[in-house]
Parts: sequence; structure tokens; C-alpha cells
Amino acid sequence: MIRQPAAAWAAAAATLALLVVDVVRQLQLGVADTGLAFFAFATCVGVAAALAVARWQPRMAVLILAWLLLSVADDLGVDWPTSRPVSTVWMLGTALLPATYALMVLAYPAGRLRDRSERAFVAVAYTVGIVGMSFPLLFGDPRDCADCAPRVPSLLFTGTALDLGVEAHVFAAAFIALGLAFIALIVRRLLQAPPGARITLFPLGLAAVFAAGDFIAQRVVVLAGGGGLTPTLDWLDRFATLALPLAILFGIAAIRRRRGPVGDLVVELGSARPGEVRAALARTLGDPSLQLALWLPEREEFVDEQGGRVDIAAPGRAMTLLGPEQEPLAALVHDERLVAQRPLIEAAGAAARLALENARLQAQLRAQLGELRASRTRLVDAADAERRRLERDLHDGAQQRLLALGLALQLLRDHGGDPQLLEQAEAELQLALRELRDLARGIHPAILSEQGLAAAVRSLADRSSLPVTAKVADDRYPLAVETAAYFVISEALANVAKHADAHAATVSVARMNGHLLVEVSDDGRGGAAAEAGGGLQGLADRVGALDGRLTIESADAGGTTIRADIPCASS
Amino acid sequence: MRVLIVDDHESFRRLAVRMLGEAGFAVVGEAVDAASALGAVARLAPDVVLLDVVLPDRSGLAVAAQLAAEPAAPRVVLTSSRSRSDFGQSFMWPAGCSFVPKHELSGAGLTALLQQP
Repeated sequence: MIRQPAAAWAAAAATLALLVVDVVRQLQLGVADTGLAFFAFATCVGVAAALAVARWQPRMAVLILAWLLLSVADDLGVDWPTSRPVSTVWMLGTALLPATYALMVLAYPAGRLRDRSERAFVAVAYTVGIVGMSFPLLFGDPRDCADCAPRVPSLLFTGTALDLGVEAHVFAAAFIALGLAFIALIVRRLLQAPPGARITLFPLGLAAVFAAGDFIAQRVVVLAGGGGLTPTLDWLDRFATLALPLAILFGIAAIRRRRGPVGDLVVELGSARPGEVRAALARTLGDPSLQLALWLPEREEFVDEQGGRVDIAAPGRAMTLLGPEQEPLAALVHDERLVAQRPLIEAAGAAARLALENARLQAQLRAQLGELRASRTRLVDAADAERRRLERDLHDGAQQRLLALGLALQLLRDHGGDPQLLEQAEAELQLALRELRDLARGIHPAILSEQGLAAAVRSLADRSSLPVTAKVADDRYPLAVETAAYFVISEALANVAKHADAHAATVSVARMNGHLLVEVSDDGRGGAAAEAGGGLQGLADRVGALDGRLTIESADAGGTTIRADIPCASS
Repeated sequence: MRVLIVDDHESFRRLAVRMLGEAGFAVVGEAVDAASALGAVARLAPDVVLLDVVLPDRSGLAVAAQLAAEPAAPRVVLTSSRSRSDFGQSFMWPAGCSFVPKHELSGAGLTALLQQP
């Protein structure tokens, strides 16, 4: 692929070279006049404008230069060219000029058409332009026009020819329709553009509507039977050629003037809270859809101020990098109709540099925090899954073998085994079974996954060594939430039994505003606290992994209340 | 008394068949999961179903509830490797069902249990 700035320079050179050919030719023919001088001046201004935008809008620069090149080619038609190369270049220019002009204006500023209707319009414009030019070439009679015989080498027919008057009227009418559609598309673009983009789109639109008006007027003259261009329309045509580069240069100047708001931005950022940098930039640049993408070098990705990934290559969007290219600080992803404002965007980015550095650090922290939280949750989930598997293995394996052994012992007794020995063996076996059951239950209570939190908590209350009142609704919650709640209650009740010196305890489990609230309180001597590595700290970690909170209220001699507040969005 | 034993553990089934057989029960069939248990009940029409609470495909409690809803339902005795306290005192057993922990299962015990209305 050719690098676009190089393509722009090549097109600029070609345009100027062709302009020299045009001027020399007209001087030799003696038809050079003020019109030609004005046209040459307008073309040079156009080349300058194209090169001025080449850095920010390289595709646009190429389109502008293509238009200028074709309009110089079109100018070669002055005083009917007699040489075949000049004639060929002139015909190409005339055929492609109107559609290329429309393409350039509609593609401004990103150098791309935005939707299907614009693409369809440009395709139709090229078709009409090319067919309109080839028609007389194919069907024209060279004898129609004595002067221009060399330029109309009828390719198919000689002798009798079609009535070209009708054909000229048909194409004039088609061009008028296209001109009106073009104006409608421009008005639509102006209405739909984000406010920040209008400052450059408006002057260009005005110049284009002016050019389209002149273009339509020329065709109306043809329809009215006027034939060629009137001197007035000819001059209007030249003004239209000058108006477009002037509009582009005016837009550039307007953007420079708008650096004023960047000063306001600095003031605004001084008092902006974290997370408001994007909003401030969006206001300054006049693009509500602006996205701030902060570059995190160690993760090699763009994230927003909240730490979420940002897609910087969405259709219809353009990106402006802030900071050095190898190690960018951030990127602004904006409406591509704002690319003409890139000098302003860069200025705003530079003004916001400190705030952006800050925002990046915050985003980095948030992203890391999010990852940490996710990994903590995954760890607890994995540990829970492992516990369930262990319990299952104990239940299906060792426990079943021991139970079978018990049945075998009973059978042995019926078959005359030593009753005393058998009794001893059975007692041992029952003890082993009970220990194994307790162990399995401690690892993971099967009743919890099978019948839910309410049943599991009631079972806990029943087995407790002191009276426990349990208030639990029969709702089901996500397994991780139920497991955490169960272990909080189980550990808290175990603590009450061991340390609290209490007479009774109450357990309540309730759902409130999408949170599961668990509370275990006793009437014991209080003084409980979470210690590092202790059971309560482990519970706090487990609850924290689910974004919940564990609090302990334990005044001396005032009993102890342990509360867990666990979010449970789904149930 | 014709008995169907439903349990996914082979060693338990083997010994239970022998023990109940020696206690005078006629063990008419064995099933390893809920689906085959329901089929076996329909085919064999046993008087008693000894049913594990935890089966590989469905809960034994659900099977018990389904059996109880049928006409000429067999007596269902639920059994489990867990103890009564694992289920909690307030646990609602399916209507008409008894429960015997596996480690307390015996021919005499089952006979006594079935003599109760």
C-alpha cells in the first residue's frame, strides 16, 4: 500500500504539472484570460488546503487532490482540444469530475462515506457521468461538428447518427436530479453531525451547496436550449472551485480559534472528581459519544475510567492517540466526523495530561482490584467444589464400606459368631461411622446442597448443645451464598457452645434488597473478636469473597452478635 | 413380605439381600437408580420398598412421594448412610414413609417397623 502522505504529495505534483500544461496551452492558443488566472489561483489554493490537512486527514487530502486534478483536466476542454492525448484527459476529467466532487464533500472529514445512501448516491453519480460522456463517443456522428471532429472519434457508427439533442437533455435532467439529491445529503449530514463537528462541516457544506447550485443552473440552461455556458455561470463555476479550499482552510482556522475552550478545560479538570475526566473532555470537544481509553502498558490494553476494556476500533469511530506514539498515555475514541478537529483534540489531551495520568492510575487500580476480587471468588468456589467432592468421596467410599461391614457383622452374629467379640466390633464400627459422618459433615454438609439452607440450618440448630431458635425462610440462594451463610452460622454456633458460656442462641436468615442477612446472637459473656488466622477471620474472608461484609458485635457481658451481609443478585 | 431393594451401592445391596432373606423376607428385586426402581415396582408389585435417600439420577424422597401417590402403593422404608439428626428434627418425610439409617438396619428391626400401622 502506498503511504498516504506520499500519495498526497504525488497527486499535488501531478495536479500542478497538469495545470502548467493547461495554462501553456491556453497561452499558445491565445485564449488565456482573467478567468484562467483565477482558475489557476483557485487550484493552487486547493492544493495548499489539501496539503494542510494531509497530516490529520490523509485520505481526505488524496480525495481533494483527485478532485483538483480532474477539474484541471476538465479545464483542458477550453477551445476544443485537437490533440488526442489532451482530448482523452479532458474527457476523463469531464466524466469523473461531478461524482468525485460529491464523493470528496460527502466523505469529509474522515475520507469515508458514512452510510449506504451516500455510497449509492456516489455510485449513481459516477455511472451517470461516465455514461453521459461515452454516449456521444459511441453513437455520435463526427460530421455533426466540423470543428471537433478529432475529439469525437465515433467508435461504433459513422454516417447516420442519433439525435444527440435528446440525449443531452436527458443527461442534463439526470444531473439536475443528482444535484438536488446532493444538496439534500449535505443538509442531512449537517443536521446529524455531533455539535463539535459542525464548525468544520458547515463552511464546507455551504461551499458545496453553492457549487451544486451553479452545477444545477448550468444544466437548466442546457434544458432551456441555451447550449453552452454563460459567462456568469462560468465565473460562478470558478468561484465554486475556490470556495471549497477556502472552506477547508476556514475550518482549520476555526479549530485553532477554538483552542480557547481548552483553557476552560484546564480549569474544569482542576475541580473534577475521579471518573469525570471523560465527561469534561466530551464537553470541550463537543462530542457526547467521546470515549476515553486509557492505555495500561503492562496489560497491553485500553480500559475506561472504571477499568473495563474499551473497543477502540468500532465502525464510524476514529481514534486520536495522546502522548508519545510508542508509549501512549491514552486514546480518545470519537465520532470520525471530528477528525478535522484533531489539533484541538490533541491540545485538549495535552491540557488533560495530569488528570489522565491520574485516571490511568485509578483505572489500573480498579482493574487490579476487580481481578483480585474475581480470583478470590474463584479460589473460594474451587475450595467449596473440592469440599463437596471430598464429602461425596467419603460418602460413596469409606462410609459405604463400613456400612456393608456392619451388615456383615450382623449376619455373622446370626451365623454363630462369638457374641462378645461381635458386640465389641459393632461398637467400634458405630463409633467409626459416627466419626466419619461428623468429618464428612464438617467438610461439606450434604443436606445443604440437597435440601437448601433452611433445612441445613435447622439441622445445625437441632444438633447444637444449647437451645437454638432458628428463623429461616425456605428460600433458595446461589450455592456459594448458601455455603458461606451456612459456615458463618455453623462456626458462630460452635463458638457459642465452646466459649460464650451462653444459655441460648438465636439464628435468623432473611433476604432484604437483594442481600442475604444472616445473624447469630447469644446471651453469653461477649468479648469475641476476629483474630488473624482464627475462625472468625476465615469467615470474614469467605463472606468478603462474595462482596459481603461480616461484622461482630461483642461487648463485655453483653452477649455476641455476628452478622453477615451477602449480596445475592440471582437466586 | 416381598421386598424391593433400591440402592446404588452394590456391596450394600448384596448384604442386605442376604440379611433380609435370612430374616424371612422375600427379596424379589434390586434396582440401582430411581428410573429402574419405578419400573421394578410396576413390574414386581412388591409389598415393601427399601429406598436409599440419595440416588444417582433423582432424590429417593421424590421417588417415595411418587410411589405414595399411586394406587396400591407399597410401604416405603427410606434408608441412608446419614443419621436422623443430619436431616433435622423438623424434616418433613414424605407421607407414609419410615426411615431407618443404614447402620441400624436389621431384619428384626424392619419386621418391627412394618408391624406398626
